[in-house]
Parts: sequence; C-alpha cells; structure tokens
Amino acid sequence: MKRVLIQDTKGSLKKETRDFLVSFNSQLQERGLADTTQVLMVSDIGVYNKGIAVRILPEGFVYPNLEIRHIAEIIEKTVVKGEKIPELIFDRKNKQQRIVLRNCGKIDPESMDDYIAYDGYLGLARALELGSAKVIEEMKKSGLRGRGGAGFPTWLKWNITNGVKGDEKYFICNGDEGDPGAYMDRSVLEGDPHSVIEGMMIGAIATGATRGFFYIRAEYPLAVERIQKGIDECYARGLLGKNIMGSNFNFDIEIRLGAGAFVCGEETALIASIEGLRGYPRPRPPFPSVKGLWGYPTVINNVETLANVSYILLKGGDNFGKIGTEGSRGTKVFALTGKVRNSGLVEVPMGITLREIVFDIGGGVLNNRGIKAIQTGGPSGGVIPEQFFDTPVEYESLQKLGSIMGSGGMIVLDENDCVVDISKFYLGFCVDESCGKCAPCRIGGTQMLGILKKLSEGKSEEEDLKRLSQIADAMQKASLCGLGQTASNPVVSTLKYFMPEYRAHLLDHKCPSGKCASLVKYTINKDRCTACSMCMRVCPVEAITGTRAEKYTINPEKCISCGQCFDVCKFTSVLRQ
Amino acid sequence: MTKQDLERIKSEGIARKPKSWIRVGYSTCGVAAGAKDVYDVLVAEAKTRGLDLSIKKCGCVGLCSAEPMVEVNIDGVPRVFYGKVNKEVAHKIMDEHVMQKRLVDGHIYEL
Repeated sequence: MKRVLIQDTKGSLKKETRDFLVSFNSQLQERGLADTTQVLMVSDIGVYNKGIAVRILPEGFVYPNLEIRHIAEIIEKTVVKGEKIPELIFDRKNKQQRIVLRNCGKIDPESMDDYIAYDGYLGLARALELGSAKVIEEMKKSGLRGRGGAGFPTWLKWNITNGVKGDEKYFICNGDEGDPGAYMDRSVLEGDPHSVIEGMMIGAIATGATRGFFYIRAEYPLAVERIQKGIDECYARGLLGKNIMGSNFNFDIEIRLGAGAFVCGEETALIASIEGLRGYPRPRPPFPSVKGLWGYPTVINNVETLANVSYILLKGGDNFGKIGTEGSRGTKVFALTGKVRNSGLVEVPMGITLREIVFDIGGGVLNNRGIKAIQTGGPSGGVIPEQFFDTPVEYESLQKLGSIMGSGGMIVLDENDCVVDISKFYLGFCVDESCGKCAPCRIGGTQMLGILKKLSEGKSEEEDLKRLSQIADAMQKASLCGLGQTASNPVVSTLKYFMPEYRAHLLDHKCPSGKCASLVKYTINKDRCTACSMCMRVCPVEAITGTRAEKYTINPEKCISCGQCFDVCKFTSVLRQ
Repeated sequence: MTKQDLERIKSEGIARKPKSWIRVGYSTCGVAAGAKDVYDVLVAEAKTRGLDLSIKKCGCVGLCSAEPMVEVNIDGVPRVFYGKVNKEVAHKIMDEHVMQKRLVDGHIYEL
C-alpha cells in the first residue's frame, strides 16, 4: 500500500492544503487507486517553510512547494510506478547525528540486557584489555573536550590524575545541570543511564580511580531512580565491585543528591557538597585533578562527556575524531527552546551553523515571527544576534562572539523579546544563586540587577550604561569562581549588539519590543474594535470594561500592562505604545 | 560477567527482537505530557486483543514539544513516530495502525 503524507509546512496555507488533499483524493478515485493508497495529513514532515509538501511512503520521497497542478504527475510517476520526480524532489539531509543520544528512545533504560543488545559494555571490555595508558591515548585521538561548558580536553584531565600518586582516587560525574532551559543531561541519564555508568568505569580504568560518585540534583527523581537501578544491576551481575569482568579492576559507584544550588555545578563547590560541607567554591589551584575530594586526586566529568566516552572506546578514537571540526571534535547536544517551532533536544556535529540548527532542524520561529537572536550557554553565556547565525558552532567561534558553548542551552528569541528583559532575567538568576562568598559576585550582581531594573522602568540615567560595563568588567576579573566571572556575560553581549535598544529604554523610556511592562501602555481603538469581548475575558485584573453595544475600554489605573489583550485581539484594535 | 557473556546477551537480544513493536517516550518530558495514560491504553488494548506485540517504555527521542511520542513499527507498515498522543489517539493507533495497517491521520512527526 502507498501512503501519501501531506503537510502545510508554512502553517498559513490551511485552505490551500485542504483543497490539495481533496483534489489528490478525487484524482486517486478517478484512477481507481483509492483502495491501495492512503492519503493523510501529518503534523511534521521534516521540511519547513516550503509550502505544501508531501512525503510518499515507502519510498520516502519528499516533494515541497506543491500546487494542485503537480498532483497528476505525482500519481502517475511516484504513486503508480514508484519513480522519483527529479524536478520536484527535495533532498532532505538529516542534519542531526546521534552519538550521545544514540540509544535514547530506542532502548528500555531500565533494562541492562537491552543496553547490551545495542553494544553496551563492549567499550568497557575493550578498555580493560587496553589498560590505562592506551585508553588515554585513544581519548587523545578522539579529541573529546569536556561538554560541561569549559571544553577542557578530557584526555588531558585524565592524564593529570593518572600521573598523580594517591592512596585513593575518585571519579565524579557532574549531573548538577542547572542552566535555565537546558536539560540534555537529564535526558541522557533518563534515556540511557548505562552509557554514562560505562563511561565512568572507563574513566576509572584510565585514571586509576577506585570510587565513583554520581552527583545528581534532587529535582531529577526519574534520573536518580534509573541510575540507581543501573548501578544495582551492575553490582548484581558483576560489572561493579571487585575483579570486574575477571580483571583486577575494582570500582564502586554511589549517588549523591544535590539540593539544587546552581553553584554546586562548579567543581570545587560540588566537591565541598559531596564532603558534606556548604557548597562554597574555593580558589584553584590546586585543581581537583591533583587535590580534590577529601584531598585525593579527583576527576570530574560531565554526563554528556561520559556518554561520549563509552562510544569512543567502542568505535575507536579515530572514528570519533573524524566528526566535527579541527578544534572541536564530535557532536554536541543542545536543548533548543524558546520561540522555536520544534523545541527539544538536537544532537549535531560540531561546525554546523546556528541557522541550520534553528531553521532546518528547529523548523524556524514560532508563529512565523521574525527572529532576533539566540541565547547560548545559559546564565554564563551570551546573546548572538541574527547577523552571526552563519557562524559554525565550535568552542572558539562562539567565544569570539561573546557567548559560550556552555552545557548546551539554546534559547531562541523572537522580535517580541526585549534584551533588557532577558539580561535582567539571567542576572536575576545569578544573583539568586550567588553563594555570597566573594564580594564582586555578591555585590556586583545585585548592583547590576538594580540598574537593569531601573532601565526597564524608565528611571535610569545616562551614567548607568557606563556603570553596567564597569561593574561587569570588575566581576569578570575579580570573582572567585566561574559563576561570578561569567554572570555578567548576557549583559555584556547584549550591550555590544543591542545598544540602540538599551538607549531606547534610557532616553525615550520606550521598550521597542513592548516587553517591559512599565514602559508600555495599552489602549483600544474603538473604530476597529468589533466588540468580540475577547480582551475583556482574558484580562487578569478586570481592567477592561464595556459592553457589546458600547465596545470596550482599558482602565489605565487598573492595567498592569501584561499584554494579554494585545496578544488575544484578532483585529489589531488593541494598541501598544 | 565476561566479554563472552556480553556477546551472548547481545546475540540473544537480537534474536529475540520482535517483528512488531511500539516504543513510548517515557522520560520526564513524556511522563509530564501524559505518557503513562498512553502506555496503559496501549498495553490494555494489546492484552484484550491478544496481540503478540512488544510495548516498551523508552527514553526521550528529542522532540519534547510533541510528547507523548510513540514510535510504531508493525510488520508491513512503514515505521512512524506519532506525536501529541493522548488516550484517544492511542486507541486509534491500535484500531487503525496495528489492526487495519492504516496510518493514523494528523499525528505523524518526522524527527
């Protein structure tokens, strides 16, 4: 049976698509093919903003930008004969490449047998055969860099710890994922827990670690449950404990729960937290690789890094090193969220452009609005405006733009988002999460937040923009740990790229995107109002009054400028000033 | 456990692989969107119809905005992902896709 899947990839061709479907069905009927062909509408066909598109199964041909005149040819050639129509075909390349997420959605995360059926623990077996030096060599060939954000070469980290003498050595998996909008690690821990456990065991072989800890935030109960099940099953079947797989390698793993403090994702604070102390960072050096948990050499790797490790040992470092670019090997998982049509997790080879991620994979901006920028790297990252969307995604190239790769949050901002508001949000997050130990972060953050609040209320003065830059500079140079050093990044990058928008807040007391509530006023244009009463029903504070006969008005005294009436009005009769 | 054991479990796993299967996205994103109801409906329907069908709870395939996601592979029908599945769509998947071998209208997603 042939199947013809149809989708309106623009989202604005409802009537045309319906006509197309009807015409397709009637032409099939005329040719007596209706019983052997199923025509149906689908939600997503894999191409975006290309008019009406069809996909024919089982061949999988995709034809975009179709009109009714194309139907006869498609039926004749593809439906009847199964041939491709070269003039119409769209060669859709899947731009995603799955290494970290290789098993997510495929295996039952609570079944070890299922993981083994997908080549699980063969990487561990190989690592045991190779021994420490050769495993590190393999990692060096792969070129894997830490996926937690900083991008430190994994092999080097392991090599340092391997070279340090210690009665005990520890291996920690950092699962304290806390960036707003980022949840790659949670998904890997939940979808493929054994790959992370295996990665940690391989790391332990390479570094000589004897005990491992999963540091996972308590807000991830399902991840904790599945990792615990994985560890239990490993013990039950002799993959953890003494003499693993008949070798002299002994290793134990336990879980430690984080109570949700953002700063505990910083490695020295994380170690303090595992030790049972308050989650305060401490100055480095000494680095944890030399002197870490309870004073012993300790490796700390991110969840995603470890999921890569099991793959590298299975397939070989050379194979992994072929993916990506010179300085950034392999793939990266991003949590694509914000104003994007398909929000979710994407895994792409390094070197892909931001534009490809947002438009070809993410399907473009929600509701066909204009795109403004993309925020990467969470509260430590920056905002990248649209003119730089053709930049390849690599550690260094993103840094040059004033942002960072970070752990993988990617938030799409559309034209309705205000950069002052976004900066305020991220800075507010860091002020809440600052541990308060060092003054630049504790005081600087609060001061900057105060200035941003003044800006968004139209109460700021000329000097304030200069003050923002000065404080940001001081925080970057003088803060104790990564949190404070990077907390001002969103402000710095938006000041760099969106100065006119800051100045509009400062001089004209206007918010160009209408987000800052104190700077916008809403009124109703009675000439255009159709008295549908939608605005009145949606208003949360009953500021809109009137009747169907006399139409509606907004009481400025009561209005909180939330903008819900503006969004709900289909006749553009709610005005924003 | 030795390397031979791993190889044995792997080949047994491949040999056991069912021809027809359904995978339900059962990570936090899926569960929050109602994957439990969907899973329960699918399992109950398969039981009442006495089908030889493997229904598995899996992790997230990545398209979190379309959760609950259900991947369906029935012998003789192209393998597809259904997104935004609720109880009603789950019944349809059983009635139409599994029993009549016709794809369900309106819920197919491409990764």
